This record gives sequence, structure tokens and C-alpha cells, in this order.
Amino acid sequence: MLEKVLFLLCLTPALAQEPCFPGSSHAYKVRISIKTALGNQAYVWNDNEMYLFRAAMAFALRSYHNGQEFNVSNIMVCNETPRVSFWFVVSSPENSSVLLKKGDVENAIRKSRNRINGAFLLTDQTLEFIDIPPTLAAPVMPVTPPWLIVFGVVMGAVGAGIIFLLVSSLVQSKRKKNKKTLDEDREDMRGIENGLGCDNLGGVYNTTFSDGDKFTPM
Amino acid sequence: MDKGGSRPNWDSPMQFVLACVSYAVGLGNVWRFPYLCQMHGGGGFMIPYLFMLLVEGVPLFCLELAIGQKMRLGSIGAWTAISPYLGGVGLASVMASLYLCLYYNIINGWSFWYLFHSFQSELPWAECPLNANLTGPLEECEKATATQYFFYRETLNISSSIEENGGVHTGQALCLLLAWIVTYLFIVRGVKSTGKVVYFTATFPYVVLIIYLIRGVTLHGAINGVKYMFTPKMEQLANPTTWINAATQIFFSLGLGFGSLIAFASYNEYNNNFERQAVIVSFINSGTSIFASIVTFAIYGFKATVNYENCLERVRLLLLNAFNLAEDTINMDNIFEWMERLNQTHPQQFAELDLGNCDLTQELDKAVEGPGLAFIVYSEAIKNMPLSQLWSVLYFFMLLLLGMGSMLGNITAITTPLRDFKIFSSVSVEVLNGLVCLFCMLLGLGFTTTSGNYWFTMFNDYGATFSLLFVVLIEVITVSYIYGIKRFEKDIEDMIGHRPNWYWKIMWAGISPILLIALFIFYIANYIMGGTPTYMAWNKDLGTSEVTPYPVFGQVFIVLLLASSVSCVPLTALYAYCRKRKRSHHKRQPTVSTLSA
Repeated sequence: MLEKVLFLLCLTPALAQEPCFPGSSHAYKVRISIKTALGNQAYVWNDNEMYLFRAAMAFALRSYHNGQEFNVSNIMVCNETPRVSFWFVVSSPENSSVLLKKGDVENAIRKSRNRINGAFLLTDQTLEFIDIPPTLAAPVMPVTPPWLIVFGVVMGAVGAGIIFLLVSSLVQSKRKKNKKTLDEDREDMRGIENGLGCDNLGGVYNTTFSDGDKFTPM
Repeated sequence: MDKGGSRPNWDSPMQFVLACVSYAVGLGNVWRFPYLCQMHGGGGFMIPYLFMLLVEGVPLFCLELAIGQKMRLGSIGAWTAISPYLGGVGLASVMASLYLCLYYNIINGWSFWYLFHSFQSELPWAECPLNANLTGPLEECEKATATQYFFYRETLNISSSIEENGGVHTGQALCLLLAWIVTYLFIVRGVKSTGKVVYFTATFPYVVLIIYLIRGVTLHGAINGVKYMFTPKMEQLANPTTWINAATQIFFSLGLGFGSLIAFASYNEYNNNFERQAVIVSFINSGTSIFASIVTFAIYGFKATVNYENCLERVRLLLLNAFNLAEDTINMDNIFEWMERLNQTHPQQFAELDLGNCDLTQELDKAVEGPGLAFIVYSEAIKNMPLSQLWSVLYFFMLLLLGMGSMLGNITAITTPLRDFKIFSSVSVEVLNGLVCLFCMLLGLGFTTTSGNYWFTMFNDYGATFSLLFVVLIEVITVSYIYGIKRFEKDIEDMIGHRPNWYWKIMWAGISPILLIALFIFYIANYIMGGTPTYMAWNKDLGTSEVTPYPVFGQVFIVLLLASSVSCVPLTALYAYCRKRKRSHHKRQPTVSTLSA
């Protein structure tokens, strides 16, 4: 009996440490790329940052599951690498041996993703939760596609240009027609100087200087 | 041949030269010549190119200008005047120009489309659009690249083969409409409008090219491209294809055989010195090709370097993530060392990684020509430049001007011969030009359907290539042997005051016809031995283009395209012959009646 109790006593803490291992059905892998995101202003990843991560996870779970008070101790981390990647599991606040299902954790993270990213000055691409695809921002679609606006402007300008050219050529051809009729009138008017016709001057037509070639040349 | 008359004229010889430059310098200088240069040994390609320019380009260009200026008629009238049996040559030119007009403005429509889409904070071809769940990019876009997706899916909405058809793409149709309206605006009064427009369309592309040259050579990695492309590979000179491609490039780049040059020259003063202008324009055209290829190679180098570095970055991330190393252990300098080290220490794990192959030379080797170069490769390079919207607007505006400039010549090649016919001379210039534009636009709408791009490729490859070789061959043989070199010499002396020297005569009578016959035979042999003609069909599941043979109706249509322009020559000759026989029949009868009176 005593051995059984001792065995169980030894087993429980072992079980308590077991839950976080890579590939576990309850664990998520996180990969952080600080230098890619921040370049020169990158901070060093240390235990304090890890504490902040666990606190952020607890915050996310608290805001998703209203009422349940998650603590930093509920977030267990293991397998940290120099890449800065690690695995974590979440245990329930009521019973620390029960691990939360992946679906719940995922939804909680999804809901507070921006806040988590903000806490670390990172983005969806540099703070990656493997297997949780980021919900990408929906593209902003303006009511009128912008290209139509530019198209309308250019079309209007070109159309105005054509109408102007056509109208001006119509006007020009009308002017030419008027000029032609004017010229014809002027030819008729040649004999009428000062509005008086030669016939009306009352003179006699002198035939000596007419250039009639009725007479045989010498 | 009336020397004065009411034929409209260019305001000055400069307008004529600029019109020829605007016509000859077109999209082919930007998207065909750099490809040929790359394929045929870089700097070494200059040798066959310049040789063909002197032997084929300049003489044939001068020939067409001489004919146009002498006859003062469009292509149909000019050839009928030279010989009544050869009016068909002019008609074949007009047919080829018509086919060209139908599909060429589609390219201008694309330029407008891309130009308008550049006025956004984020260029639409820079990133893939998201899928319905907003979890990642669209599948088709991920398999291809974002620029390819934008071209094939959003611009063309292309179907998967020439047999499948859908509706008209509204955006494309609108852009095509705008392209035709702008074309009409440029030619509405005939030569009077065209003459003013060419001041801009001929000169502004050079401004953009210079700006791009400065921007291009200062880009990161551009020097790789220029060095790679211009290193001459002299062994390519032994390849006959190099010389043939140089000849065809000169031929099509100068726009010979369409009748545009004859049309432009017909509006010249009788004593205009076209000989000097022919040399100037031909050299400007070739010079522009070389200049544009420097810019293109700089852009290629930039794009290849960016892709190469992105590839290396991807490999670096993969290595970091797979082996859980700290972020700053691997950088661009030691990545290859690390790859070797990791391969040795963890061979199995390393082999499982899908690293791909990052090779700068392979990136530079990717040779593209045609619309793919202009709209896909260039836009990919532009999206990586800082201030990409500005460069995009500049670039597509330049493409637009190049295309519009060539379009002026193409349309003039149709309207000028039409005006020479008595039926149309009573119709005003504006109305005739408007009707031609309207007709071409309505037929061109067929190219804006989902399978339209495949028809476009068919027209581009077969509509005006073989028939032009035929036309120009007949032209040069006619002028040299049927009309006679001696008569032609006298005409030229009449126009410009001195006889053409021995260079011109040797080229016209001897070398150019031989060269054209060789090209002609090569084309026929290629067509016969090439088997079923094929085209590149876009496979949306794989995200690439695949070689697909044309279906039966497609092949029949190709034959129709070729036959319809080529057959104009023999058919018109036959028609003229029949008419002459009828006339001589009628002439015999009246002699009997006058004697009896």
C-alpha cells in the first residue's frame, strides 16, 4: 500500500511535467524573429521576455474565456531553442493537470492576436504560431475602382478634344463656303464701283478702246 | 502626276521625319530586340544587325519613300500606276495593315489599363489578392507570380484554350474604346492632325528612356544584367538563325511593306530629299533598339538580382527554422558555408528540405519577349523599385506613346489608299477616318473576349509576317526589273536633283532581292517543317503557360489569314488582265461604225 502511494506520489509530479513536449496534441509551437522585425532596435530574448509571453497568453485566455482566471503558472513552456522557438501548453485554472484543447487555445490567440503582437512590437509574420494561420486584413475595396476614375477623366478630355476639332473644322468649312460665295459676288460687283453700275453713270461706251478682234490685224 | 493639286502636305519636312520615326520606333524595339540580343550572343549580335541594316533596311526604306513621293498616291494607287497588273501589291499591303490595325490597338488598350491601375497607393500587381477565407493568397496567384496573375487573370481573364470562349472583358473593351478614340483624335484631319501629334509621340519616349536609363543603371544589381548581356558570344555568329533573325528584325522593325511609308511619303513636297531622311530614320530606329536594350538589360539585371536574393533569403529562413539556429548566425555572406556544414552534420534532415536552386545566371537566362516582357517582367521589376507608382506611370505612358505612334502609320496606310478612290474622295476626311476607326474597333472587340489573347497571338504571328515578305519581295523586283532601274533613277533625279549612287543600285537590283528570297524560303521551310502550329495556353491549375497545338479551325484560319493577303496579288493581276481584254474587245467594234458613217 505504501509503495503504491509512493509510486503515485512520484508519478504525479512527473505527469505534471510531461504535458509540454514537442508534437503533443495540446501544444503549440511558437517562432519569434526579433531581428527580422526590428533590425538594429532588436531586444534580447531572455527570461523576462518569456515571462511577458506567458502573461500575454494568460491575458488572451482570460479575455476569451470570460470568468476563468488564467494565471502565468497555467502556461507551460518547453524546448526553447536559440532560434527563439518553443512549445507551450495551457492548463486549466481549476485543475492544473487538465490541458486545454487546441481549438480553445487557437480561438483565444486569434481573438487577441493584435494585442499579443503589440506587446512584443512584432507582426503576424515575425511572431508565428505554427498551424494558426493569421487572419489577413481584408482588402479595402473603394466603391468606384480608382482606375475607372482616371479612365473617366482621360476619356472626357479626349472626347472634348475630338468634339472641339470636329466643330472647328465644320466652322472652317462653313467659312470657306461663305468666302467662296463672297468671291463670286465680288466678281459680279467689279463693274459696280461705289455702288454705281457702269451703265448707270450715264456715259457713252467708247468702242475705240474695246479689245474686240473683229477687225483683221494688220 | 500633278505636282501641286489639292493633296494635303506635311507642314515641314521635320514633321515627315518625325512621323516616320514615330511609326518605325515602336513596341518591337522594346520587346523584341533585347530578346534577340540575349539569344544570339549579346554584344556580338550587333554585327549581323548592323550588316542587315545596311544591306536590307536602308535600301528598302528608301525605295518605299521614293515610290510614295513620286506617285503621290497611297499604296494601291502607286502600284497600279507603276504597273496596272500589280495593283494587288498595294491591296495586299492594305490587307496586312488592316489585320495589324485590328489587333495592335489591343496592346494600347493594355497599356491604358496598366497606366490607370498605376494610380493607386499599392500597385495591384505587387501582391496576390487574398482568397475567400482571408487565410492566404489565391491559389492560382500563389502557383504563378503576382504579376503573371494580374496579367492573365485580372487583365485578360484568359480561358484555358482557344476553343473555350466567354464574354467580353468590360475593362478591356473600355480601354480598347479609349485607344481607338485617341487614335481617331490623332488622325481626325489626316496629315494635318498627324503632323502635329508626331512632335510629341516621337520625342517623349526618348525622354522616358533616358530617365529609365539613369534609374536603371543605378539600381542594385543592374550591372550584372548589362555585363551578362553585352558580353559577346561570338560563336553565335556561326549560327544561321542569328543572321536570319537579324534580317527579320530589321525588316519588321522598320515597318516595310505595310504601305505606311508610301502613304506618309505621298504627302511630301515633290522635291523633298527623302534619301537622306531614309538613312537618318533607319539609323535612329536601330539606335533606339540598342538604347532600349541597354535599359532592358539593366532592368533584367535588377530583377534577376532581386529574385536571386529573395531565393537566398528563403533558403536562409528554411535553414534557420529547420535547425533552430539563432537568427543572426546565417547571413548572406556565410550562407553557402552553412549549407555545406549542415549537409555534412545532418545529411538526412538536409536532404528532406526543399531548398530549390538559387542561381543568378539561371535568373539572367530567363529570356522573355513580346507582351510578356513588357507587361509581366517589367512590371515585376517596377514593383520592387522605390516610388514604384511614378515609374509605373512613366513606363506605361511611354509604351502607350510608342504604340500610338506606330498606330498612326498603320491607320494612315489604310485611309490614304481609300481616299484615292473616287467613291471616297467626296466623303470628308473626318468622316472617312471615323468610319475606318469604328470598323476596326468593332472587329477588335473580339480580341477582348476570354479567348481573345489566343486570337491575338495568332494574328500577331501569322497576320502580317509572311505576307509582308512576299509583298516587299514583289516590290523590289518590280521596281528593279519591271519598272526598270534606269527609269527609277531618272525619277529620283527628277525629285532630288541627283542620281542614286552605286550603293543604292546594287542593293535594289541585286542584294536585297536575294536576301528577301532567302528569308522567304526560310519562312516557308520553317512553316512546313514546324508541324502543327502551336500556341501558349495558360493553365490556371498549374499557374504556367503550356504549349498547345491549334485546333483544326485555328489552323484553317491561319491559312486564310496568309492566303487572303498573298492572293490579292495574283487575283488583281488576273482582274486587270481580264479588264484589258474586255476593253480591247470593245475598242475593235466602234471602228466599224465610224467607217460606215
